[in-house]
Amino acid sequence: MLAIDIKKRLPEFRLEVAMRLNYEIMAILGPSGCGKTMTLKCIAGLEKPDEGLITIDDRTWFDSWQHIDLPAKERRAGFVFQNYALFPHLSVYDNVAFGLRGRPSAEIQERVNNILAKLGIMKLTSRMPNRLSGGQQQRVALARALAGEPEVLLLDEPFSALDSLVKSRLEDELLKLQEYYQGHVLYVTHNLEEAYRLSSRMAVIEAGQVLQQGERQDVIQRPANRRVAVLTGVRNLFSGVICSLEDHRVQLEVEELGSLWVDRKVDQGFKLGQRVTAGIRPGHIRLGKREACNSAVVAVSDCVEEVSGCTYHLQASNGRSRLNLETSSANAEQILRAGEKCDIYLPPSHLFIIDDSK
Amino acid sequence: MDMMPVWISIKTALAATLITFFLGLAAARYMAGRDFRGKSLVDGFFILPLVLPPTVVGFGLLCLFGRNGPVGQLLFAMGRPVVFSWSATVIASAVVSFPLMYQAARAAFEQVEPNLENAARTLGASEWRVFWRISVPLAWPGIAAGAVLAFARSLGEFGATLMLAGNIPGKTQTIPLAIYFAVEAGKDALALNWVLMVLFISFISLVALNHWKRRQYHNMASIVDFLPEESTDAGN
Repeated sequence: MLAIDIKKRLPEFRLEVAMRLNYEIMAILGPSGCGKTMTLKCIAGLEKPDEGLITIDDRTWFDSWQHIDLPAKERRAGFVFQNYALFPHLSVYDNVAFGLRGRPSAEIQERVNNILAKLGIMKLTSRMPNRLSGGQQQRVALARALAGEPEVLLLDEPFSALDSLVKSRLEDELLKLQEYYQGHVLYVTHNLEEAYRLSSRMAVIEAGQVLQQGERQDVIQRPANRRVAVLTGVRNLFSGVICSLEDHRVQLEVEELGSLWVDRKVDQGFKLGQRVTAGIRPGHIRLGKREACNSAVVAVSDCVEEVSGCTYHLQASNGRSRLNLETSSANAEQILRAGEKCDIYLPPSHLFIIDDSK
Repeated sequence: MDMMPVWISIKTALAATLITFFLGLAAARYMAGRDFRGKSLVDGFFILPLVLPPTVVGFGLLCLFGRNGPVGQLLFAMGRPVVFSWSATVIASAVVSFPLMYQAARAAFEQVEPNLENAARTLGASEWRVFWRISVPLAWPGIAAGAVLAFARSLGEFGATLMLAGNIPGKTQTIPLAIYFAVEAGKDALALNWVLMVLFISFISLVALNHWKRRQYHNMASIVDFLPEESTDAGN
């Protein structure tokens, strides 16, 4: 178990991060400059928190009250930097062997060759870093971080410097990481899709604060508040009043859309008449479908053609107020033009309710 | 022709560069990437010998190492006075050339990407190992340029050397002093010999410096090379 609970005053905000993870991949998702990288550096011992606690299993890496602050070289957290930070004056072999000093040379050789083989970069052994492509650099950085068998692997935006083709291939490989690395993995990114694909748990951070953390499905399906919803890509948020409560579903009255049924998730306690925020992801709104409930007629305000399908901006109106919605449709055969009217259906299973009072 | 001034000059310049090299490296490492109250004051103190007239530096050193100076008294008591000895030429040259080494090394250290040093730390390297295995090699072109400049400056040192070490032929008389006193005594031909000697040594130093600069440029150039992703190695 890796447990982190740290506070650090930064020029723009106060970093307050508390999270725990247990031999799993946890993604830290947040916009740039939110304190993600600083969090990793605090864990690795490269930055010192003002106060807090970092423990790994039964050992303490940092404890401001007991004045414990293990230096980075003794923590030996595997760190893959955003720009990979390969030593430009050392060959691939020497880069990977750098952290293995003090072991018998036969063991060093075996370990380096082993990890290079696992990552499929065996034949790059004698290359210098400036003769490597971005993808190769990333693998070498990963090999170097893993060679010393660290207890924690920290990945700082490992894909941000790669083009999309290389990126998707390396992502697939990182998914297999768990086959040969059993440890805590903390993975920092600003890309939601990437975070979801690669991790089992997610933490959403903004301006130094952890807004929500948990299983990835939970974070995506049940954002804790409006900020989490927005940061995880929810474009459609609207306020409503709860007008009916049943065991498995809740009925909301939304001014612009009429009444909506929402599937009720466990442990969500609501009261009749309570004002709440409801939301749905762009991809979950069904365009051109009319059902007995959860349907509305909306006007298309504009249509952006994508590589596959379209993104529509819609406007729902009841005469008094207007609501802007966004949806995407993979079906490009029938393109709706601005000004056209169409039916939409909001599936109860994909709608979620945010308790504004929390 | 008496070759003594040449040997004394080279010996002095080498010894002074050696001292300056390690002191400059240590000072540069301490000052680079660190922020403390009075930093610019310390920095100014390190650079001072570069902007002061060498005679002023020499006067200061005389005050320090002279018979009545704080360090001088101690050395006299130990029976090893420094003033008017060969050591004095080394001290004078080292002090005057120190700012060149310090400035070049500091600028070079500040260019080293902090994450490279951080990466070494997370890989279990001590600060000592980070310094010698990462910082120094990566800052090497700048450090080497500083050392060559310091060597050239030591070789040409005149004012402070004359003040602290005097002009004792065969002991403290370096080439610049020999030239001055040869001209003063009307031995122009002798002076010319030494002038040519200085020209030769300085030229070699500058060629060495340019060689370093070019290497630096080549390193930079190869880093920005565009390298396409190889399809053969990444797919498996």
